[in-house]
Parts: sequence; C-alpha cells; structure tokens
Amino acid sequence: MPSKDGFFQKLRARFRARAQDYGMAALEVFLSAAIGFLAGALALLVLGYDPLKVYEVLFSWGYTDIGYLLLKSTPLIMTAIAFSIPALAGVFNIGGESQLYVGALLGLLVAYYIHNAPLAIVAAILGGAGLGLFIALLRVYRGINEVITAIMVNWIMYWLLAYLVTGPFNNPKLPQQSVPVPKSAQIPVFSIGGVNIAGSFILAVIGALVIYYIVFYTKTGYIMRVSGLSPASAKYAGFSPEKAILTSMLIGGAAAGFGGALLVLGDVHSIDTTLSAVYGLGFTGIGIGLLGRNNPIGIIFAAIFFSGLLIGGQYVELFLNAPPNLSDFLIGVIVIALSIPYAYRFIISWIKRRRMAK
Amino acid sequence: MPEPAVEMLHITKIYPDGVVALRDVDFVVYKGEIHGLLGENGAGKTTLMRILYGEIKPTKGEIRIFGKKVKFRGPWDAIKHGIGMVYQKFTLVPTFTVIENLHLSHLAINPKATISETRKKAEELMETVGLKVPLDTVVEDLPIGVQQRVEIIKTLLRDAKILILDEPTSVLTPIETEELFKTLARLKELGITVIFITHKLKEVKRVTDRITVLRRGRKIDTVETAKVTEVDLARMMVQREIVLKIEKKPAKPGRIALVIEDLWVRDERGIDAVKGVSLELREGEILGIAGVQGNGQRELAEAIAGIRKIYKGRIKLYDKDITRFSTLERYRNGLAYVPDSRAVGLVLDMSLRENVVLTNIYRILGKLGYLDWGKGDEIARKVVEELEVVTPSILTPVKYLSGGNQQKVMVGREIVREPQVFIVAEPTQGLDVGATEFIRKMLVKLRDEGKAILLISTDLDEILQLSDKIAVIYEGKIMAVGKPEEFTLEKLGLLMGGVHAE
Repeated sequence: MPSKDGFFQKLRARFRARAQDYGMAALEVFLSAAIGFLAGALALLVLGYDPLKVYEVLFSWGYTDIGYLLLKSTPLIMTAIAFSIPALAGVFNIGGESQLYVGALLGLLVAYYIHNAPLAIVAAILGGAGLGLFIALLRVYRGINEVITAIMVNWIMYWLLAYLVTGPFNNPKLPQQSVPVPKSAQIPVFSIGGVNIAGSFILAVIGALVIYYIVFYTKTGYIMRVSGLSPASAKYAGFSPEKAILTSMLIGGAAAGFGGALLVLGDVHSIDTTLSAVYGLGFTGIGIGLLGRNNPIGIIFAAIFFSGLLIGGQYVELFLNAPPNLSDFLIGVIVIALSIPYAYRFIISWIKRRRMAK
Repeated sequence: MPEPAVEMLHITKIYPDGVVALRDVDFVVYKGEIHGLLGENGAGKTTLMRILYGEIKPTKGEIRIFGKKVKFRGPWDAIKHGIGMVYQKFTLVPTFTVIENLHLSHLAINPKATISETRKKAEELMETVGLKVPLDTVVEDLPIGVQQRVEIIKTLLRDAKILILDEPTSVLTPIETEELFKTLARLKELGITVIFITHKLKEVKRVTDRITVLRRGRKIDTVETAKVTEVDLARMMVQREIVLKIEKKPAKPGRIALVIEDLWVRDERGIDAVKGVSLELREGEILGIAGVQGNGQRELAEAIAGIRKIYKGRIKLYDKDITRFSTLERYRNGLAYVPDSRAVGLVLDMSLRENVVLTNIYRILGKLGYLDWGKGDEIARKVVEELEVVTPSILTPVKYLSGGNQQKVMVGREIVREPQVFIVAEPTQGLDVGATEFIRKMLVKLRDEGKAILLISTDLDEILQLSDKIAVIYEGKIMAVGKPEEFTLEKLGLLMGGVHAE
C-alpha cells in the first residue's frame, strides 16, 4: 500500500497522468446516462406512463432506506467482481450465477449443521472458487469456450439447487423454503448513527478492498492485468496467460461464492423453493461489473446505484400499478446505456485477443 | 509492341503521418506476361499492389487496366476489372469445404449462382488450368500448397485476368513451389497476366519475363529477365548511399557470451522456421543478423528468449546451458530481449511505470507477491532519465508516448537491469531520424561497455552501420557470417535473396 504521507499527492499525480482517460470516462458516463434516461422516458411515454412521475418514484423510493439499499447491494458487489476479475485477465465469466448458488447452498448447509458463520463463509468461497476453476480448466486445457460451459453449468446448478431445497434440505415446517440459517450463524446488522448497516455489507466492502489490493498491488494481479490487456506481452515477460486465466476464475468464483454466503447468512437466511432470492444476481453482476469498469471500488458504487434502481422499481410497480416488467425494462435501458461504451470496447478487444490467440 | 494489361503511372502514396511509401512510380505490366516485383522490406511492393487491388488509394497518379483509365473505390471494383489477389495469409473459411469457399466468393460476382453451377464451373476451370483440388474436403485439412491452389482457383472463378501473388512461395515447401511454377506457366499459356511479388532472386529469375525493382518507394528499373543476372538484380535491390554515419570505435571482442548450436525452431503452423542455426556472440561486439522479413528472425529471437519452443539444438549463456530455462530464468541470468514489435513489448494501456516493471518485476517483489511500487517508481524514473524519455509523467499510459519514446522505454528497462547479453530486434522500425540515431548510439555505447549484442534487423543500413560482424539469414538458415568488410552490398543482396555468391 502507498505510504500515508504524500498519498493525496500521488493520487493527484496519477489523476493528472490519466486526466485524458478520466475526462473521457466522465463524459461517457454523463452522455450514456442522459441517453439512457431519455430513451427510457420515450418508451414510458409510448406505453402511456408519465416519465417524470416514474423517475420520481424510482429515485425517491429507491434510495431512502440506506440500510436496506446496502443490504441488497451486498451480493451484487461480489457477483460483479466475479465477472470483472476474470474480465481483467481476458475471460468472460458469466458463471457468477451458478458460483453464487453454490456459495449460497454450501453456506446454508454448513451454517445449518455446524452453526458457525466463518466456516460457512469459507465453505462457500471454496465451492465458488472450485466451480470457477472448473470452467477455467476446461477453457485452458481443453479449449472449451468458457461462456458455453458457464451457461450449461448455470442451468445444471439451478436445477440441482431447486431439487435440493425442495427435496433433501426442505424445511418441513415451512415447505416453501429450505432449512434455515440458525440465529447463531447469522451475520448481524449493526445500527450506526441510526442507520442499520448490515454486517454482510461491511464484509463485502472489505472483500472488494482485498481484491482491489490483489489486483493492483500484487504480482498475481499484475500478471492478470498484463495477460488480459496483451497476452503476447505476458508471454514476452515470461508470464503464463493461461495460468492468469485460472487464477482469475479462481478469484472470481470465490467472490461469487462469498456473495452467496453473505446473502444467505446476512439477509434471506434460507432459500425459497422458487429460487427467487438467488436467481438473477449473477447476471445482474455482469452489468454492474461493466458499470463499475471492472474496478472493485467502482463496483461498490455501481452495485449500490443498481440496488437502488431495483428497489425503486418495486415501488414503481406498487404506486403506479405498472407491470413488473416495466421497471425491469427501465433498469435495463439505463444500465445498457451506461455500460455500452465500456462493454463495446471490452468486447471488441476480447474478440481481437481471441483472434490473435489463434 | 506488346499490349499493356496494367499501367500505373506516376503513383505517389503519402500516408497521413507523412511517411512517403511510393514516390512517382511507373509500373507497366504486359498482357500475358509473368512480371516480378522485387524489393527489400519497405521498398513499397505491397503498397503498390494494394493500390492496384483498390485497397488503398494513391495520393497521386493514374491507373489504366487494359488501356482503360480506372478509379477503384475498393477491391470489389478491382475484381470487376479482372484483378485477383492471392495474399500470403489466405482468405479462406477454414471450416468450410473447398467448394463452399469457392461458392462463397463466386456469389460476390454472380449472386444468383447455385452451388452446383459453381461446382460445374470450378471443374471446367480445373480442367483447363490443370490445377487439381479436392472440392469436398474441408479447407483446414488441406496442406498449405493446396490451399494456395484453392485461392488461385477462387480468383480465376471470378474471371481474373490479372493475378497478383504476394510472396507466394514463402509458405510453400520446395515441391509445392515447383508445382506453383508449373501452374504459373500454364496460366501464362492461357493468356493470364501474373504479377509475382518476391524478394527471392532465384525464383524471380526463373519464372518471370520481366522484373520491376523497387527501392525505398522509388522504381529503380524494369528489366527483361533474360538480360540480367542475379548479381545485377541484387545490386539494384540494395544499392544505396549510407545516410546516417555513426561514430564507432573499433570493437574489442571479449569472452564468448552466447553460443547457439544447431538450433531448430518451428513457427505457429508447425513448419520449420529456424533450420540448424549456429552462432557465437562475444562481449563487446554487435552481431547483426541481416535478412528479409519472415526468414526466421522472429522465431530465432523468441527461441533464444525462451518464448518459443526449441525442438533441437542448444543455447549456452556463458557456461550455463539455458536451453531448458524458462523465459524468466533466462532474463534473471543476464539475458535481455527487445522484441521487434512494440505491441508485444509494451502493454499500451498501462502506464510507463507498469511497463517498466514488466521485465523488472522480480526487482520490486516483496513478501507474498506484494509489489513495491515505490521501487517501481525509482526504476521507471531511472529509465526516463537515462534514456531521455519525453513523457508528462511515469504514470502516463504508454499509448500516449511517441514511437521513439516507446522504443526508449523498451530498451531502457532492459538496460537498467544490467544484463550481459542483448537480443535486439528491429530497434528503430518506424522511428524518426532523431530517435533512430539515439537508439543506435545507445547500442554502440552498450557494446563499448562490454555488452554482447545480437542485432536482428531487416534494415540493411542499420546492419551495416552498427555491426561488427554480420550473419545473413535466409529461409531459417545462416547463409554466411563475416566482418562487414568481407561483404559488398551486392553480395549481401544476393545472400539475402538466397543466392550464394561466387
């Protein structure tokens, strides 16, 4: 870590050196947001809703309950990281979804049987990491496209989880959900200055900071970034881009698994048989990762922003009698607009690297 | 007077960055002849042909095809005028069968054709031209020579009357080359005009009717093949006045630093690229590897650096056999490699500091993989100071630096590691005069400090200016090694073109 004295000076120097990049990024975000909201407004008009009212509800209700906002952003931070770390190394991890399922399930089971939160978290991390590694191994040693593997694994894990929570680990007293996390293994919520801050959120932020440190202040992170930006340079320097892929998927999977444990131990405390508590968090993470520009700290803010949209969306349904699809649609438009420029560059460079690798 | 098929008159091409690729070139090809286009790297051969094929527009000049003045907006226009191009890198869909590939390109000129019509036409064509290709085999399963035949048939199916072949023999085995030459002769009988781009003197002498020689974007001459010797051609190709002079003390060669013994290396396609190279490099000496691009130079450099697998032979760094060492181990044992491409040597989106760390990472490594960026700052500042890199900050992404400054970063980060042996490939490619001189002086300075330098360059001026010893590489083999005085330009030109002079 940089020494404390001169930290801000260093920060300023870094900012000045990249002012051009940062300026473009700020302009991009501003333009994308404007376009996103405009497009959303147009669509709302066509569908017969008052865009101003919808946006008012979305933003005033989405971001009022800070504690709830942060709690809901917790798993999203981790699934976004699950996407972004492999992205830095040049792989497309859309398996955050199933890596989160595994984490949630293992976290739940360990908590239920052993009543120990730290152990549950460790199990969840290992499970997620293992699943991520599995996809990476197939990619590196068998040349199987990681996107295809991840899609298949996602569905396998989805139905496996559905079976397990309705079958062997169903709660006999409450058949609509799985066995619960006992009180002793739940992650508490702290009240700080009148705001309820979830312990799980704090853990997620710590997790994101640790990963930020790994990415920017360790050899492992450096090799991953070099490999992602230019595999040929990595080989020239004597690094193995393949190994970087394995490491990044290991870290990504671990993050998603961690997110699954935080969700179960810190928020929902059981998995409902319709899987509505877990479904979609991994996919949403992809958008957040792009929005946060694959930077763990950027991701924290992007996840909070996104979580607010999700919450606000529910109030739009409630107050304006809009169908649930409307808020999903609106969030989609905004997020797509915000992530398009970055996603575009990211995908283009990804395709180029693929070609070069051949 | 034979009828001209191609007339390119007063062609000048200046790129937006001010580089003059072609200067007032006249290029005339007669109908039905095989016309060789000869020149070193950067002579402008490919640029001229890309203009003819409509891929790029000339800054000035006029093109006539069969006497008709034309202006091409793109290759599709050129194709309509009967021009076909066969690139070094083929443009076939590897997972399609031959007939599917042929049909795909046939559709471009005849959108209503059915695949059976294409097949019929292709079979007739193969009959007349005498080229045989299995139509139902998947392209990637075919040998390179056969794939090239598919490319030729593809262009002929589009009724090409003028066929451009860009270095066609560079990918072929000797037997396949023979086959190609037979095909060319047959095409000539059928009245098809062939333009044959090459740097191989023997081949151009053997198959062409006339030859145009380009040097540094200018046309030197067009000659009838029968009236010139290989020596004449070599002289035309390489003759020059040396523009830059560099002050150089006589070399004081010291201990043997690097020994390469019977090295064999394959390229990406699994074809032998380095064939039994043996070299000896001493301290305090610059050994220049001269040769035309694509004769195994990159594979040789990468094999020495440990990036590419060696399947036969040995490399010794002083007393250590480093043949089985990893890249990192070689670097740590005193070897440095500056690659020929800045896109490989640099991570353009990363800062100068992070790029300096690329090969210095072991010097800033702490416990548990922690990177001490403070030390990284120091090393980066040292590179900036010693090499006079012009940059706003060491945190500036290198993509914002000029080519010369990027090159300084690549060379400088090796120098500060203080290795004993430098492998330097194309160190001044694309640099302006000032940066070029700076880098070359730097290399001489390193030599004077007693470092051993292996300089791989396709720029003959550079080789002549810097080398204390020259080795000429051709098709992966060392043709000759000697002191610069032992070579005349002519002889170098012959050797680079694959001809043993005597």
